[in-house]
Amino acid sequence: MKKILVPIKRVIDYAQKVRVDPSKGPQGVQLKNVKMSMNPFCEIAVEEAIQLKEQNKGAEVVAISVGPKQCTETIRTALAMGADRGIHVETKPDVRGDYIDLQPWAIASLLKGIVDREDAVDLVLLGKQSIDSDCGQTGPLLAGLLNAPQATFAANIERGDDGSFTVERETDTGTETIKLNASGKPAVITCDLRLNTPRYPTMPNIMKAKKKPVETISLEDMVKELGLDLDEVLTPKHEVVEVYEPPPRKEGETVGSIDELLGKLKEKGLVA
Amino acid sequence: MFLSFTPRLRLGIHCSNLLSKRCASNHSRNILLRGPTSQDVSYFRSVLARPGYSVLDGTANQDTKDEIDNRYNIDWTRHYQGSSDLVLRPQTTSEVSSILKYCHENYIGVTTQGGNTGLCGGATPISNEVVLSMEYMNRIYKLDEYSGVLTCDAGCILQSLHDYAEKNGYLFPLDIGSKGTCQIGGNVSTNAGGHHFFRFGGLHGTVVGMEVVLADGRVLRMNIDANDDDNNERTHQFQQSSASLRKDNTGYDLKQLFIGGEGTLGVVTKVAVACPALPTSKNVALLVCNCYKDVLQVLKTSKGQLGEILSAIELIDMNTMKFVQRYGSGIGDHLISELLASEVADNQPLFILVESQGCNQEADSSKMDAFLTSLYESSTIENGFLAQDSKHIEEIWGIRESCNPSVARAGYVHKFDVSIGIESYIEVADEVIDALKEANLPDLTVCVWGHVADGNAHINVISGQVENNAAKAEIIENIVYTAVMKRKGSISAEHGIGQSKRKYMSQVKDKTALELMSQMKNVFDPHFILNPGKYLP
Repeated sequence: MKKILVPIKRVIDYAQKVRVDPSKGPQGVQLKNVKMSMNPFCEIAVEEAIQLKEQNKGAEVVAISVGPKQCTETIRTALAMGADRGIHVETKPDVRGDYIDLQPWAIASLLKGIVDREDAVDLVLLGKQSIDSDCGQTGPLLAGLLNAPQATFAANIERGDDGSFTVERETDTGTETIKLNASGKPAVITCDLRLNTPRYPTMPNIMKAKKKPVETISLEDMVKELGLDLDEVLTPKHEVVEVYEPPPRKEGETVGSIDELLGKLKEKGLVA
Repeated sequence: MFLSFTPRLRLGIHCSNLLSKRCASNHSRNILLRGPTSQDVSYFRSVLARPGYSVLDGTANQDTKDEIDNRYNIDWTRHYQGSSDLVLRPQTTSEVSSILKYCHENYIGVTTQGGNTGLCGGATPISNEVVLSMEYMNRIYKLDEYSGVLTCDAGCILQSLHDYAEKNGYLFPLDIGSKGTCQIGGNVSTNAGGHHFFRFGGLHGTVVGMEVVLADGRVLRMNIDANDDDNNERTHQFQQSSASLRKDNTGYDLKQLFIGGEGTLGVVTKVAVACPALPTSKNVALLVCNCYKDVLQVLKTSKGQLGEILSAIELIDMNTMKFVQRYGSGIGDHLISELLASEVADNQPLFILVESQGCNQEADSSKMDAFLTSLYESSTIENGFLAQDSKHIEEIWGIRESCNPSVARAGYVHKFDVSIGIESYIEVADEVIDALKEANLPDLTVCVWGHVADGNAHINVISGQVENNAAKAEIIENIVYTAVMKRKGSISAEHGIGQSKRKYMSQVKDKTALELMSQMKNVFDPHFILNPGKYLP
């Protein structure tokens, strides 16, 4: 096995309370001074890639991220987990990756170009969705553009000696197991929660990661190199119409006795 | 000094048959207090607005008695059990005032209780005192957007104050493991220290105002502005009835007496706490050192390289970490395994949690990175892990906050919370281990963790068996306290005195100080009804 690509996304940290500024309309989600981290499903994808690399000596894991300059930090985390090198497609600071500017189609187009550019890629592992847009489209779109076999929501991945991948995937009613045959094209698999528990990048690995190469190339340059159209890439295919915070939960009332409870229920017409 | 019997019970033995109406009397005064009668209960029912809520009468039925026994009569460590038959849960300051006035006039003992998470039995009745629970006084009044002063009732659960402050862009300056249950009134009354004492200082500094009800029912307001009823009288045009100001130097700062007073001078009903701005960037790392000398180096380096953003440094020893792995809730298991993976079997590594808080993620991350790199390259740390996202931060703090509960599940815990010079921290633990061996006490594990930057060590001696051996407990206590006192330390850094350390007060406190404290008690609570049998010798 030669090469595994893992596209990773820098998103608002899952524990952050997302705030919406109503005066900014659809651009209202506040990103300034907000803690960002690697998308949890992308983390799982990185972990899976490292595990496969460990099982297949000689495989190279490449972490790729499209976003502002801070994405280098996100790539460093992947490197500290064990990825070998990184590619950072750097966007201008005001270009938003949370569905407002860059959308799955643009990313998938870029990734398709990068897969071709890299050559001899056996597998592309992605998170099943990002926690900001929740689209879940980049993986399937990429597979379509590559005309490659795909499996989504992977809960378990096994690589066969013939280069095939047997994937157990999550469905609404349980799991189903499908086999992606070796086809000369890279397999595209998106990762779900149960696939693995990402390892902790501890100090020795963090130190090693500092020396691993990260290629930084601006979005404009990458687009040119791949022969894509910059406008095409930057013009979103979908328009966000409205963004709002969910309405606050109403406070409950405490009552002092069963009688009081019955009284209130009757008052509210919930009980005869 | 007259010290009547104080029935100290362990592990669930009831003693209500010993006292029908009398509680332990108090220190030097030969005052006899009594427990409540049915007439008293009727009186309380008449003055409380919602007696169905606010009066738990254990003599009425077995269910109520059971509830009182399970919730109010026993403490968190399960070492102390009282036999109260009456729990009062007032909703307003004026209700507290009516209750205390009556108890004062009738010499009825009162034990105030908040979240009941204390570790010294300070909130557990000695026998059948009335339990005054603050749980229904839990309103948050306001948070001043400019000064950051948060004003609330004493019964507010600490976590709710954190949540409220965070929503408004502020950080509540006190943070301890029990924050999901403990109440701010109890925190203030015990002068709780917590994880961020190092960064924000203690409650003596952050509490700017307070409302207290004295033993005779008088309401004392000190730089606080909050109304839960209409009973505040202003007799003079300029009389201070408001404000929760950050600074006010007009007279003796009486509120300081109630902070750490453990409910013996008055009942705290409201507090005003100055909150710092919510930091927007937080970094947490868990580091592994081979020996304490390296830990001291980490401490020094952190002050130099993290400086103003350093917000917490906590130490956890290997014995504790093993118990967390075995008995913890599972949080951080993977991380612990990974950090231990490269450890040689006999090693006794020390773990340090380092936290930084600031307002610029990029600047803080680069400081943290430089700090960790320099520690690793100089071999001051053998290994370490820097949290990459919130999940990791939760896991690392989860490990630290699991120390106390995990150790409690491992066996019978002889718990100590001591203050010593930072350089002697581990030395004391080692001395205790040696002394225990010499005293021929087998099957004991000594665990140490705590706020190392404050010199505050939580030393826990765990016995594999459940036991009830007072003699053994005494030997262990003597060993630990001797090691601490010979280094001029304190036998209670932050947990307080309560019941558990009362007997040491006359040994560790200056005689003049004790005399003055006793005189003060006389001034504030001349009938000695508040929290009898605790704190002062």
